[in-house]
Amino acid sequence: MTDMEPRIAAYLAHRMPAARDIEIDEFRRIQGGSSQETYRLRARWREAGETTNSQTTASQTIERRLILRRAPPSGLVVAERDIEYTVYHALAGRGVPVPAVYYFEADPRWLDRPFFVMDMMPGKPGHFYTSTDPYEGHGEKIARQFWQHLGTLAAIDHRALGLHDLRNGSVTGEYWSRELDWWEAIYRKNEGVIEPAVHAAIRWLRRNPPPPTIKPAIVHGDYRAGNFLFTPDGRISAILDWEMCHIGDPLEDVAWAIDPFWPMTRHLPLEPGLTEWEQASGFAVDRAALDWWRLFSAVKASAIWATAEASFTHGPAREMVVAMSGIRAGHFHRKLILDMMANPTKIARGNGT
Amino acid sequence: MSLTLEVVLHGVAATLRDRIAPALDDSFASEAARLAAMLITISANAVDDAAAVRVWENAALRALFGDAQDMVGPNMAGDLGDRLAQAVHSSDPGLRISELDEENNRLRTLLVELHEAVETMEGEGARAVDARIWQILRETVTRRAPQS
Repeated sequence: MTDMEPRIAAYLAHRMPAARDIEIDEFRRIQGGSSQETYRLRARWREAGETTNSQTTASQTIERRLILRRAPPSGLVVAERDIEYTVYHALAGRGVPVPAVYYFEADPRWLDRPFFVMDMMPGKPGHFYTSTDPYEGHGEKIARQFWQHLGTLAAIDHRALGLHDLRNGSVTGEYWSRELDWWEAIYRKNEGVIEPAVHAAIRWLRRNPPPPTIKPAIVHGDYRAGNFLFTPDGRISAILDWEMCHIGDPLEDVAWAIDPFWPMTRHLPLEPGLTEWEQASGFAVDRAALDWWRLFSAVKASAIWATAEASFTHGPAREMVVAMSGIRAGHFHRKLILDMMANPTKIARGNGT
Repeated sequence: MSLTLEVVLHGVAATLRDRIAPALDDSFASEAARLAAMLITISANAVDDAAAVRVWENAALRALFGDAQDMVGPNMAGDLGDRLAQAVHSSDPGLRISELDEENNRLRTLLVELHEAVETMEGEGARAVDARIWQILRETVTRRAPQS
Protein backbone atom coordinates (compact mmCIF):
# COMPACT_ATOMS: atom_id res chain seq x y z
CA MET A 1 0.00 0.00 0.00
CA THR A 2 1.18 3.54 -0.77
CA ASP A 3 0.31 6.69 1.14
CA MET A 4 -2.33 7.44 -1.50
CA GLU A 5 -4.97 4.87 -0.55
CA PRO A 6 -5.77 6.30 2.90
CA ARG A 7 -5.73 9.82 1.49
CA ILE A 8 -8.20 8.85 -1.23
CA ALA A 9 -10.37 7.11 1.34
CA ALA A 10 -10.34 10.26 3.47
CA TYR A 11 -11.35 12.34 0.47
CA LEU A 12 -14.22 10.03 -0.45
CA ALA A 13 -15.40 10.10 3.15
CA HIS A 14 -15.41 13.88 2.94
CA ARG A 15 -17.45 13.74 -0.26
CA MET A 16 -19.79 10.93 0.81
CA PRO A 17 -20.81 11.56 4.42
CA ALA A 18 -23.20 8.60 4.37
CA ALA A 19 -20.46 6.14 3.43
CA ARG A 20 -18.91 3.96 6.14
CA ASP A 21 -15.78 1.78 6.24
CA ILE A 22 -14.37 3.08 2.97
CA GLU A 23 -11.62 0.84 1.63
CA ILE A 24 -9.32 1.53 -1.31
CA ASP A 25 -7.31 -1.26 -2.90
CA GLU A 26 -5.95 -2.46 -6.25
CA PHE A 27 -4.43 1.00 -6.59
CA ARG A 28 -2.11 1.13 -9.61
CA ARG A 29 -0.71 3.83 -11.81
CA ILE A 30 -1.48 3.13 -15.48
CA GLN A 31 -0.50 4.61 -18.82
CA GLY A 32 -3.23 7.12 -19.51
CA GLY A 33 -2.04 10.06 -21.50
CA SER A 34 1.13 11.99 -20.89
CA SER A 35 -0.31 15.18 -19.51
CA GLN A 36 -1.94 13.80 -16.35
CA GLU A 37 -1.12 11.05 -13.91
CA THR A 38 -3.71 8.29 -14.22
CA TYR A 39 -4.48 5.71 -11.53
CA ARG A 40 -6.97 2.87 -11.33
CA LEU A 41 -8.43 1.74 -8.03
CA ARG A 42 -11.23 -0.16 -6.38
CA ALA A 43 -13.35 1.62 -3.78
CA ARG A 44 -15.68 -0.24 -1.40
CA TRP A 45 -17.87 1.18 1.30
CA ARG A 46 -21.03 0.51 3.25
CA GLU A 47 -24.10 2.67 3.24
CA ALA A 48 -26.77 2.52 5.89
CA GLY A 49 -30.06 0.98 4.88
CA GLU A 50 -33.09 3.12 4.25
CA THR A 51 -35.59 3.78 7.01
CA THR A 52 -39.21 3.56 5.93
CA ASN A 53 -42.26 3.33 8.24
CA SER A 54 -40.01 2.75 11.26
CA GLN A 55 -38.31 -0.18 9.50
CA THR A 56 -34.64 -0.02 8.53
CA THR A 57 -33.30 -2.20 5.75
CA ALA A 58 -29.87 -3.76 6.06
CA SER A 59 -26.84 -1.71 5.08
CA GLN A 60 -25.35 -2.50 1.71
CA THR A 61 -21.81 -2.74 0.46
CA ILE A 62 -21.03 -0.76 -2.67
CA GLU A 63 -18.06 -1.42 -4.92
CA ARG A 64 -16.81 0.83 -7.68
CA ARG A 65 -13.84 0.60 -10.02
CA LEU A 66 -12.62 4.11 -10.53
CA ILE A 67 -10.02 6.17 -12.37
CA LEU A 68 -8.28 9.06 -10.67
CA ARG A 69 -6.66 11.67 -12.92
CA ARG A 70 -4.21 13.96 -11.15
CA ALA A 71 -2.34 16.96 -12.47
CA PRO A 72 1.36 16.19 -12.81
CA PRO A 73 4.12 18.47 -11.55
CA SER A 74 4.58 19.31 -15.24
CA GLY A 75 3.38 17.74 -18.45
CA LEU A 76 3.10 17.76 -22.18
CA VAL A 77 0.64 20.58 -22.41
CA VAL A 78 -0.32 23.22 -19.91
CA ALA A 79 -4.02 22.78 -19.36
CA GLU A 80 -6.56 23.76 -16.81
CA ARG A 81 -7.33 20.56 -14.99
CA ASP A 82 -11.05 21.04 -14.71
CA ILE A 83 -11.53 21.13 -18.49
CA GLU A 84 -11.70 17.37 -18.81
CA TYR A 85 -14.07 17.01 -15.87
CA THR A 86 -16.31 19.77 -17.21
CA VAL A 87 -16.49 18.25 -20.69
CA TYR A 88 -17.15 14.72 -19.44
CA HIS A 89 -19.94 16.08 -17.31
CA ALA A 90 -21.47 18.08 -20.16
CA LEU A 91 -21.27 15.28 -22.74
CA ALA A 92 -22.96 12.62 -20.63
CA GLY A 93 -25.85 11.16 -22.60
CA ARG A 94 -25.10 13.14 -25.77
CA GLY A 95 -24.14 10.25 -28.03
CA VAL A 96 -20.39 10.43 -27.52
CA PRO A 97 -19.21 7.70 -25.13
CA VAL A 98 -17.47 9.22 -22.12
CA PRO A 99 -16.97 8.03 -18.53
CA ALA A 100 -19.26 9.20 -15.77
CA VAL A 101 -17.41 11.69 -13.58
CA TYR A 102 -17.95 12.17 -9.86
CA TYR A 103 -15.71 14.74 -8.22
CA PHE A 104 -13.28 17.44 -9.25
CA GLU A 105 -10.99 18.69 -6.50
CA ALA A 106 -8.68 21.70 -6.77
CA ASP A 107 -7.69 21.87 -3.10
CA PRO A 108 -4.11 20.50 -2.82
CA ARG A 109 -4.56 19.40 0.79
CA TRP A 110 -6.12 16.13 -0.33
CA LEU A 111 -3.66 14.77 -2.94
CA ASP A 112 -1.14 17.59 -3.33
CA ARG A 113 -2.40 18.55 -6.79
CA PRO A 114 -5.79 18.95 -8.50
CA PHE A 115 -7.51 15.73 -9.52
CA PHE A 116 -10.85 14.28 -10.50
CA VAL A 117 -12.52 10.91 -10.11
CA MET A 118 -14.43 9.05 -12.80
CA ASP A 119 -15.70 5.59 -13.66
CA MET A 120 -13.29 3.06 -15.05
CA MET A 121 -14.81 2.14 -18.40
CA PRO A 122 -14.70 -1.33 -19.94
CA GLY A 123 -12.28 -1.98 -22.74
CA LYS A 124 -8.69 -1.16 -23.56
CA PRO A 125 -6.73 1.08 -25.92
CA GLY A 126 -5.32 -0.39 -29.12
CA HIS A 127 -1.54 -0.59 -29.19
CA PHE A 128 -1.23 0.85 -32.67
CA TYR A 129 2.52 1.52 -32.43
CA THR A 130 3.44 -2.08 -31.75
CA SER A 131 0.65 -4.12 -33.36
CA THR A 132 -0.49 -4.50 -36.95
CA ASP A 133 -3.92 -5.49 -35.62
CA PRO A 134 -4.44 -3.22 -32.60
CA TYR A 135 -8.23 -3.71 -32.61
CA GLU A 136 -8.12 -7.51 -32.75
CA GLY A 137 -9.95 -8.06 -36.00
CA HIS A 138 -12.38 -5.15 -35.57
CA GLY A 139 -10.30 -2.47 -37.31
CA GLU A 140 -12.88 -1.30 -39.85
CA LYS A 141 -15.77 -1.49 -37.39
CA ILE A 142 -13.80 0.55 -34.86
CA ALA A 143 -12.73 3.06 -37.49
CA ARG A 144 -16.33 3.67 -38.60
CA GLN A 145 -17.40 4.33 -35.00
CA PHE A 146 -14.34 6.53 -34.58
CA TRP A 147 -15.58 8.80 -37.38
CA GLN A 148 -19.22 8.60 -36.35
CA HIS A 149 -18.46 9.73 -32.80
CA LEU A 150 -16.35 12.61 -34.07
CA GLY A 151 -19.16 13.63 -36.41
CA THR A 152 -21.66 13.45 -33.55
CA LEU A 153 -19.39 15.68 -31.48
CA ALA A 154 -19.16 18.22 -34.31
CA ALA A 155 -22.96 18.44 -34.51
CA ILE A 156 -23.41 19.35 -30.84
CA ASP A 157 -24.15 22.97 -29.90
CA HIS A 158 -21.58 23.75 -27.21
CA ARG A 159 -23.61 26.67 -25.90
CA ALA A 160 -26.56 24.40 -25.19
CA LEU A 161 -24.25 22.33 -22.98
CA GLY A 162 -22.93 25.35 -21.12
CA LEU A 163 -19.45 24.95 -22.53
CA HIS A 164 -18.95 28.60 -23.44
CA ASP A 165 -16.14 28.82 -20.87
CA LEU A 166 -13.93 26.58 -22.94
CA ARG A 167 -11.21 28.35 -24.92
CA ASN A 168 -12.85 30.28 -27.80
CA GLY A 169 -16.24 29.44 -26.33
CA SER A 170 -17.48 33.01 -26.30
CA VAL A 171 -16.16 34.15 -29.66
CA THR A 172 -17.21 33.50 -33.23
CA GLY A 173 -15.10 33.00 -36.30
CA GLU A 174 -11.39 33.21 -37.03
CA TYR A 175 -10.80 30.00 -35.09
CA TRP A 176 -7.88 29.16 -37.35
CA SER A 177 -5.97 32.31 -36.39
CA ARG A 178 -6.81 31.97 -32.69
CA GLU A 179 -5.57 28.39 -32.62
CA LEU A 180 -2.50 29.24 -34.66
CA ASP A 181 -1.72 32.08 -32.24
CA TRP A 182 -2.25 29.72 -29.30
CA TRP A 183 0.05 26.98 -30.58
CA GLU A 184 2.68 29.34 -31.96
CA ALA A 185 2.96 30.94 -28.51
CA ILE A 186 3.37 27.51 -26.89
CA TYR A 187 5.89 26.52 -29.53
CA ARG A 188 8.00 29.65 -29.11
CA LYS A 189 7.91 29.37 -25.32
CA ASN A 190 9.22 25.80 -25.37
CA GLU A 191 11.36 25.70 -28.50
CA GLY A 192 14.79 24.36 -27.60
CA VAL A 193 16.53 23.87 -30.92
CA ILE A 194 15.31 26.53 -33.35
CA GLU A 195 13.45 24.77 -36.16
CA PRO A 196 13.26 26.99 -39.26
CA ALA A 197 10.86 24.57 -40.99
CA VAL A 198 8.26 24.99 -38.24
CA HIS A 199 8.60 28.78 -38.45
CA ALA A 200 8.19 28.62 -42.23
CA ALA A 201 5.07 26.44 -41.89
CA ILE A 202 3.53 28.93 -39.46
CA ARG A 203 4.17 31.79 -41.89
CA TRP A 204 2.63 29.77 -44.74
CA LEU A 205 -0.46 29.03 -42.69
CA ARG A 206 -0.90 32.75 -41.97
CA ARG A 207 -0.45 33.73 -45.62
CA ASN A 208 -2.93 31.09 -46.81
CA PRO A 209 -5.87 31.07 -44.38
CA PRO A 210 -8.57 28.41 -44.71
CA PRO A 211 -12.17 29.16 -45.65
CA PRO A 212 -14.48 30.18 -42.79
CA THR A 213 -15.51 27.31 -40.52
CA ILE A 214 -18.70 25.46 -41.32
CA LYS A 215 -19.74 25.82 -37.67
CA PRO A 216 -18.22 26.40 -34.24
CA ALA A 217 -17.77 22.95 -32.72
CA ILE A 218 -16.51 21.23 -29.62
CA VAL A 219 -12.99 20.25 -30.62
CA HIS A 220 -11.62 17.35 -28.61
CA GLY A 221 -8.09 18.57 -29.30
CA ASP A 222 -6.39 15.14 -29.21
CA TYR A 223 -8.87 12.90 -31.05
CA ARG A 224 -6.82 10.00 -32.34
CA ALA A 225 -5.96 6.33 -32.11
CA GLY A 226 -4.78 5.62 -28.58
CA ASN A 227 -7.23 7.99 -26.93
CA PHE A 228 -10.25 5.69 -26.89
CA LEU A 229 -11.10 2.30 -25.42
CA PHE A 230 -12.65 -0.62 -27.29
CA THR A 231 -14.33 -3.78 -26.06
CA PRO A 232 -13.76 -7.36 -27.30
CA ASP A 233 -16.91 -7.20 -29.45
CA GLY A 234 -15.51 -4.22 -31.38
CA ARG A 235 -17.33 -1.34 -29.71
CA ILE A 236 -15.73 1.97 -28.77
CA SER A 237 -16.63 2.23 -25.09
CA ALA A 238 -15.06 5.59 -24.20
CA ILE A 239 -13.40 8.59 -25.80
CA LEU A 240 -10.73 9.81 -23.37
CA ASP A 241 -8.10 12.53 -22.83
CA TRP A 242 -10.09 15.71 -23.34
CA GLU A 243 -7.67 18.07 -21.59
CA MET A 244 -7.01 20.04 -24.78
CA CYS A 245 -10.71 20.46 -25.56
CA HIS A 246 -11.82 23.85 -26.87
CA ILE A 247 -14.24 25.44 -29.30
CA GLY A 248 -13.13 25.76 -32.89
CA ASP A 249 -13.30 24.45 -36.42
CA PRO A 250 -14.37 20.78 -36.44
CA LEU A 251 -11.86 20.11 -39.21
CA GLU A 252 -9.12 20.60 -36.63
CA ASP A 253 -10.07 17.27 -35.04
CA VAL A 254 -10.55 15.59 -38.43
CA ALA A 255 -7.06 16.62 -39.53
CA TRP A 256 -5.53 15.58 -36.20
CA ALA A 257 -7.25 12.21 -36.43
CA ILE A 258 -5.61 11.42 -39.78
CA ASP A 259 -2.13 12.57 -38.85
CA PRO A 260 0.10 9.73 -40.10
CA PHE A 261 1.78 9.35 -36.69
CA TRP A 262 -1.39 7.63 -35.41
CA PRO A 263 -2.83 6.23 -38.64
CA MET A 264 -6.55 5.46 -38.36
CA THR A 265 -6.65 5.27 -42.16
CA ARG A 266 -4.87 1.94 -41.88
CA HIS A 267 -8.24 0.43 -40.93
CA LEU A 268 -10.56 2.47 -43.15
CA PRO A 269 -9.41 4.66 -46.07
CA LEU A 270 -9.81 8.38 -45.70
CA GLU A 271 -12.78 8.95 -48.03
CA PRO A 272 -15.18 6.40 -46.50
CA GLY A 273 -14.05 7.66 -43.10
CA LEU A 274 -14.92 11.21 -44.05
CA THR A 275 -18.27 9.99 -45.38
CA GLU A 276 -19.06 8.51 -41.96
CA TRP A 277 -18.13 11.85 -40.36
CA GLU A 278 -20.25 13.80 -42.86
CA GLN A 279 -23.30 11.62 -42.24
CA ALA A 280 -22.98 11.90 -38.46
CA SER A 281 -22.26 15.63 -38.41
CA GLY A 282 -24.55 16.72 -41.23
CA PHE A 283 -21.74 18.79 -42.78
CA ALA A 284 -19.57 18.32 -45.85
CA VAL A 285 -15.79 18.31 -45.47
CA ASP A 286 -14.05 21.00 -47.50
CA ARG A 287 -11.01 19.03 -48.71
CA ALA A 288 -8.95 22.17 -49.37
CA ALA A 289 -9.66 23.46 -45.87
CA LEU A 290 -8.76 20.04 -44.49
CA ASP A 291 -5.34 20.32 -46.13
CA TRP A 292 -4.74 23.59 -44.28
CA TRP A 293 -5.66 21.90 -41.01
CA ARG A 294 -3.34 18.99 -41.75
CA LEU A 295 -0.35 21.30 -41.90
CA PHE A 296 -1.68 23.06 -38.79
CA SER A 297 -1.79 19.67 -37.06
CA ALA A 298 1.88 19.09 -37.78
CA VAL A 299 2.70 22.51 -36.31
CA LYS A 300 0.50 21.84 -33.28
CA ALA A 301 2.18 18.46 -32.81
CA SER A 302 5.58 20.15 -33.00
CA ALA A 303 4.49 22.54 -30.26
CA ILE A 304 3.40 19.63 -28.06
CA TRP A 305 6.67 17.75 -28.60
CA ALA A 306 8.67 20.93 -27.90
CA THR A 307 6.72 21.20 -24.65
CA ALA A 308 7.54 17.57 -23.90
CA GLU A 309 11.26 18.18 -24.41
CA ALA A 310 11.16 21.30 -22.23
CA SER A 311 9.17 19.47 -19.56
CA PHE A 312 11.66 16.62 -19.39
CA THR A 313 14.64 18.97 -19.54
CA HIS A 314 13.53 21.18 -16.70
CA GLY A 315 11.65 18.64 -14.57
CA PRO A 316 10.57 17.94 -11.96
CA ALA A 317 8.53 15.16 -13.62
CA ARG A 318 10.75 13.08 -15.90
CA GLU A 319 8.43 10.51 -17.43
CA MET A 320 10.04 8.26 -20.03
CA VAL A 321 7.05 8.52 -22.37
CA VAL A 322 7.40 12.31 -22.37
CA ALA A 323 11.06 12.15 -23.38
CA MET A 324 10.32 9.55 -26.05
CA SER A 325 7.53 11.73 -27.46
CA GLY A 326 9.82 14.72 -27.63
CA ILE A 327 12.55 12.86 -29.48
CA ARG A 328 10.77 10.41 -31.76
CA ALA A 329 7.47 12.16 -32.45
CA GLY A 330 9.25 15.50 -32.68
CA HIS A 331 11.46 14.16 -35.44
CA PHE A 332 8.48 12.59 -37.21
CA HIS A 333 6.55 15.85 -37.41
CA ARG A 334 9.56 17.93 -38.44
CA LYS A 335 10.00 15.54 -41.35
CA LEU A 336 6.28 15.62 -42.10
CA ILE A 337 6.34 19.43 -42.24
CA LEU A 338 9.24 19.29 -44.70
CA ASP A 339 7.32 16.82 -46.87
CA MET A 340 4.19 18.97 -46.81
CA MET A 341 6.02 22.21 -47.48
CA ALA A 342 7.75 20.67 -50.48
CA ASN A 343 4.41 21.03 -52.24
CA PRO A 344 2.28 23.34 -50.12
CA THR A 345 -0.50 23.66 -52.68
CA LYS A 346 -1.22 19.95 -52.38
CA ILE A 347 -0.39 19.42 -48.75
CA ALA A 348 0.06 15.72 -48.23
CA ARG A 349 -3.48 14.78 -49.18
CA GLY A 350 -2.21 11.48 -50.45
CA ASN A 351 -0.81 10.44 -47.09
CA GLY A 352 -4.14 9.59 -45.59
CA THR A 353 -5.69 7.67 -48.42
CA MET B 1 39.90 1.97 -23.94
CA SER B 2 37.50 -0.35 -25.67
CA LEU B 3 34.71 0.17 -23.17
CA THR B 4 33.40 3.31 -24.86
CA LEU B 5 30.40 5.38 -23.90
CA GLU B 6 28.42 3.76 -26.71
CA VAL B 7 29.25 0.25 -25.56
CA VAL B 8 28.33 1.03 -21.96
CA LEU B 9 25.02 2.64 -22.90
CA HIS B 10 24.03 -0.22 -25.20
CA GLY B 11 24.83 -2.65 -22.38
CA VAL B 12 22.74 -0.71 -19.89
CA ALA B 13 19.85 -0.54 -22.38
CA ALA B 14 19.97 -4.29 -22.98
CA THR B 15 19.91 -4.97 -19.23
CA LEU B 16 16.92 -2.70 -18.74
CA ARG B 17 15.03 -4.19 -21.68
CA ASP B 18 15.83 -7.88 -21.26
CA ARG B 19 16.31 -8.38 -17.52
CA ILE B 20 14.81 -5.57 -15.49
CA ALA B 21 11.60 -4.73 -17.41
CA PRO B 22 10.37 -8.36 -17.59
CA ALA B 23 11.07 -8.85 -13.88
CA LEU B 24 8.89 -5.96 -12.73
CA ASP B 25 5.37 -6.84 -11.60
CA ASP B 26 4.11 -3.28 -11.85
CA SER B 27 3.11 -2.74 -15.49
CA PHE B 28 3.66 1.03 -15.33
CA ALA B 29 7.20 0.56 -13.99
CA SER B 30 7.90 -2.19 -16.52
CA GLU B 31 6.81 0.04 -19.39
CA ALA B 32 8.94 2.88 -18.01
CA ALA B 33 11.96 0.56 -17.94
CA ARG B 34 11.30 -0.53 -21.52
CA LEU B 35 11.02 3.08 -22.68
CA ALA B 36 14.16 4.00 -20.73
CA ALA B 37 16.02 1.27 -22.63
CA MET B 38 14.82 2.73 -25.93
CA LEU B 39 15.87 6.24 -24.89
CA ILE B 40 19.32 5.04 -23.89
CA THR B 41 19.67 3.21 -27.20
CA ILE B 42 18.74 6.34 -29.16
CA SER B 43 21.20 8.37 -27.08
CA ALA B 44 23.95 5.77 -27.55
CA ASN B 45 23.46 5.83 -31.31
CA ALA B 46 23.82 9.62 -31.35
CA VAL B 47 27.09 9.72 -29.42
CA ASP B 48 29.62 8.98 -32.13
CA ASP B 49 28.59 11.57 -34.72
CA ALA B 50 27.11 14.21 -32.41
CA ALA B 51 29.93 16.68 -33.02
CA ALA B 52 30.24 15.84 -36.71
CA VAL B 53 26.53 16.49 -37.32
CA ARG B 54 26.71 19.92 -35.71
CA VAL B 55 29.98 20.94 -37.35
CA TRP B 56 28.57 19.99 -40.77
CA GLU B 57 25.34 21.86 -40.10
CA ASN B 58 27.05 25.05 -38.97
CA ALA B 59 29.38 25.00 -41.98
CA ALA B 60 26.44 24.40 -44.33
CA LEU B 61 24.54 27.34 -42.87
CA ARG B 62 27.55 29.67 -43.20
CA ALA B 63 27.99 28.60 -46.83
CA LEU B 64 24.30 29.20 -47.46
CA PHE B 65 24.51 32.69 -45.97
CA GLY B 66 27.43 33.46 -48.27
CA ASP B 67 25.53 32.31 -51.34
CA ALA B 68 22.46 34.26 -50.21
CA GLN B 69 24.52 37.42 -49.99
CA ASP B 70 25.70 36.94 -53.55
CA MET B 71 22.24 36.15 -54.90
CA VAL B 72 19.87 38.45 -53.00
CA GLY B 73 22.13 40.61 -50.83
CA PRO B 74 21.14 43.96 -52.37
CA ASN B 75 17.45 43.25 -51.65
CA MET B 76 17.89 42.68 -47.93
CA ALA B 77 16.36 45.21 -45.57
CA GLY B 78 17.94 46.59 -42.41
CA ASP B 79 21.14 45.08 -41.13
CA LEU B 80 20.34 41.50 -42.09
CA GLY B 81 22.99 41.56 -44.82
CA ASP B 82 25.65 42.73 -42.37
CA ARG B 83 24.74 40.06 -39.83
CA LEU B 84 24.83 37.38 -42.52
CA ALA B 85 28.28 38.59 -43.57
CA GLN B 86 29.50 38.34 -39.98
CA ALA B 87 28.05 34.83 -39.72
CA VAL B 88 29.79 33.75 -42.94
CA HIS B 89 33.15 34.58 -41.38
CA SER B 90 32.35 33.19 -37.93
CA SER B 91 33.58 29.85 -36.66
CA ASP B 92 32.61 27.28 -34.07
CA PRO B 93 33.81 28.38 -30.63
CA GLY B 94 34.83 24.84 -29.65
CA LEU B 95 33.97 21.19 -30.10
CA ARG B 96 31.94 20.61 -26.97
CA ILE B 97 28.36 19.74 -27.89
CA SER B 98 27.08 22.60 -25.73
CA GLU B 99 29.31 25.07 -27.62
CA LEU B 100 28.30 23.72 -31.01
CA ASP B 101 24.62 23.76 -30.05
CA GLU B 102 24.79 27.37 -28.93
CA GLU B 103 26.41 28.41 -32.19
CA ASN B 104 23.97 26.23 -34.13
CA ASN B 105 20.96 27.92 -32.55
CA ARG B 106 22.47 31.34 -33.31
CA LEU B 107 22.86 30.40 -36.98
CA ARG B 108 19.39 28.80 -37.11
CA THR B 109 17.85 31.99 -35.73
CA LEU B 110 19.55 33.93 -38.51
CA LEU B 111 18.28 31.37 -41.02
CA VAL B 112 14.69 31.99 -39.90
CA GLU B 113 15.19 35.70 -40.59
CA LEU B 114 16.78 35.04 -43.97
CA HIS B 115 14.03 32.60 -44.94
CA GLU B 116 11.29 35.06 -44.05
CA ALA B 117 13.05 37.81 -46.03
CA VAL B 118 13.52 35.61 -49.09
CA GLU B 119 9.84 34.60 -49.08
CA THR B 120 8.86 38.22 -49.70
CA MET B 121 11.35 38.79 -52.53
CA GLU B 122 10.69 38.41 -56.23
CA GLY B 123 13.03 36.84 -58.75
CA GLU B 124 14.95 33.71 -59.56
CA GLY B 125 17.70 34.46 -57.05
CA ALA B 126 15.23 34.51 -54.18
CA ARG B 127 13.61 31.29 -55.36
CA ALA B 128 17.02 29.62 -55.63
CA VAL B 129 17.94 30.64 -52.07
CA ASP B 130 14.55 29.43 -50.84
CA ALA B 131 15.15 26.07 -52.52
CA ARG B 132 18.63 25.83 -50.96
CA ILE B 133 17.17 26.52 -47.52
CA TRP B 134 14.65 23.70 -47.84
CA GLN B 135 17.35 21.37 -49.14
CA ILE B 136 19.56 22.05 -46.11
CA LEU B 137 16.61 21.65 -43.73
CA ARG B 138 15.79 18.27 -45.24
CA GLU B 139 19.38 17.12 -44.96
CA THR B 140 19.57 18.39 -41.39
CA VAL B 141 16.50 16.41 -40.33
CA THR B 142 17.88 13.30 -42.01
CA ARG B 143 21.25 13.62 -40.28
CA ARG B 144 19.60 14.19 -36.90
CA ALA B 145 17.09 11.34 -37.20
CA PRO B 146 16.95 9.34 -33.95
CA GLN B 147 18.28 5.83 -34.52
CA SER B 148 16.75 3.08 -32.45
